[in-house]
Amino acid sequence: MSRYRGVRDIPDEEYVAPGSALCAGCAAEIIARHMLKVLGRDTIMVNVPGCYAISTLFPYTAVKVPFVFGVFGGGAAVAQGIRDGLDILREKRGINNERVNYKVVVYVGDGAAYDIGFQSTSAAIHRGLDFYFVCYDNEAYGNTGFQLSGATPYASRTSTSEPVGDSIGNEYRKKDIFEIWRAHGAPYVATISVSHITDMLNKFEKAKEFRGPKLFVALSICPTGWGASEEETIRIARLAVETGMWPLKEAVYGEVRHTFIPRRLKPVEEYLKTQRRFRHLFKPVRREEEIRRIQEAVEEYWRRVRESEAGG
Amino acid sequence: MYRFRFHGRGGQGIKTASRIFGTAAFLEGFNAQDFPMYGPERRGAPVAAYVRISREPIVSRGYINNPDVVIVGDETLLFDPIADPLRGFGGGVLFVNTPSTPRIELDGHVVTLDITGLALEYIGRTSAISAGVGAVASKIAGFTKSNTLDAVAMELEEIGVPGELIDKNLKLAEVSYDSVPSFDLESLPSIERSDFVDMGVVQVRLDDGYIGVATIANLGNTAIRKTGNWRILKPIIDMDKCTGCKICFAYCPDVSIYMGDDGKAHINYDYCKGCLICSSVCPFKAITMVREVKTL
Repeated sequence: MSRYRGVRDIPDEEYVAPGSALCAGCAAEIIARHMLKVLGRDTIMVNVPGCYAISTLFPYTAVKVPFVFGVFGGGAAVAQGIRDGLDILREKRGINNERVNYKVVVYVGDGAAYDIGFQSTSAAIHRGLDFYFVCYDNEAYGNTGFQLSGATPYASRTSTSEPVGDSIGNEYRKKDIFEIWRAHGAPYVATISVSHITDMLNKFEKAKEFRGPKLFVALSICPTGWGASEEETIRIARLAVETGMWPLKEAVYGEVRHTFIPRRLKPVEEYLKTQRRFRHLFKPVRREEEIRRIQEAVEEYWRRVRESEAGG
Repeated sequence: MYRFRFHGRGGQGIKTASRIFGTAAFLEGFNAQDFPMYGPERRGAPVAAYVRISREPIVSRGYINNPDVVIVGDETLLFDPIADPLRGFGGGVLFVNTPSTPRIELDGHVVTLDITGLALEYIGRTSAISAGVGAVASKIAGFTKSNTLDAVAMELEEIGVPGELIDKNLKLAEVSYDSVPSFDLESLPSIERSDFVDMGVVQVRLDDGYIGVATIANLGNTAIRKTGNWRILKPIIDMDKCTGCKICFAYCPDVSIYMGDDGKAHINYDYCKGCLICSSVCPFKAITMVREVKTL
């Protein structure tokens, strides 16, 4: 049974302090707040270069749990070191207290999850490391000026995929990191969105049951990079889910279940139009074919979901 | 050579303002060099941009530490210890975007204009004031209005601003240009300056090699850094309408909303960055917003 039924059930404890220099309206802060509320005080957080590193700029830190800063590609490797160290204290030295049972969480952006840190993450999942890996996916290298990453969706403008002339912006497809992780055989893989807080809290809670890699990818609205106004963060996240572009799902030992199935998909352009990074699809001329291509990819995805859910 | 330093908050268009000014200088026949501060790009956080203009080729590189003219796009930055816009100011011209009169005593000329108010009037937004700020800098330097407006149009076009919005920005630029005086840069006190002194680098103590890494023992100490002065608009909760549903509390990115003993939501204005997510998610429309007016 779900432990959290609504926002009223959100735990009161705060493990993130105000005063950090992250952008106003940043979704990565909301995700971190709720993640730590569920995982609790006995958590060690590993971070690497990326937007969230700004929560902790020496000599200040906004995070109230132990926080270790590693190299860009090495988040999961740092987590392995911490986990191994704690396990050795317990198994070889016979120490058993709350500290050696700390949860280890890697909290990184899509650059570190999809691209630069992918190798160390893949290796850690392969070794069955008992950790949480949470990616706040803002679909580009947001911290350095919004350059293209492996998580950038088709047709998005980034500072390295400017839609000049006939160019559509990013011509590549977004990597399906959920399926990539699932193919590793991890015990728990989930997608989350800031618009669906109870779904997010319940997934973090559920992940506690499993030993091994627990992997999360969160759509992280980036008002600065996406060219959206700050107060729209939650509405955009909700539209991503309701248009079907960001499916909410989980996989337990590879078994996929969608935690939210939109009854009727809203047209993708309702989502695309909220952001300047897609503006070239509508102005100066409407790129009908490209919009349809995005719409069809989403519909094809949900058609397959409905088929398999009906079959199962 | 004349050095202009621009200060503002990420998202205000300070970098674009510096480019408008650099382009205007180029159209005036100057050699020009314009570039922003390098660092993480964060909306709302202090940013800076630098412009050197000269009749001679410019060989200097790097940040400007001794500016002839300082342009401040957000009044709350004036005494901000991190932005420190007055650092190295040697008595030239200081411009501040503010509706009030700053109470400061310094050698040099102080010029003010409420560009944010004008932006609300002419563009309907407070966030992008680049055309106004660029035009003010251009007027202070004594450039012609036509070169200034050409520079505004060129730079906004280059970053993909749609035509009708460029027209509104040109109006803002023109009004801003007409509202401030111009100066003879030649007559400003010349500062004996080197670009390579006083870089403001913080010296970090060298620790024992066994300790080796920088450690912060006081977790959550960003709380001593108030981010409340990032706000342009201020959310206000109507306590008669608030039902204590906790939705705004759940969605506040900056832990700036807390549930009071009265069971209702309260905003901590010391930290609220003014993203207004609370106002947009409130199911009871209990959160309104007003323009933040700060007193200097």
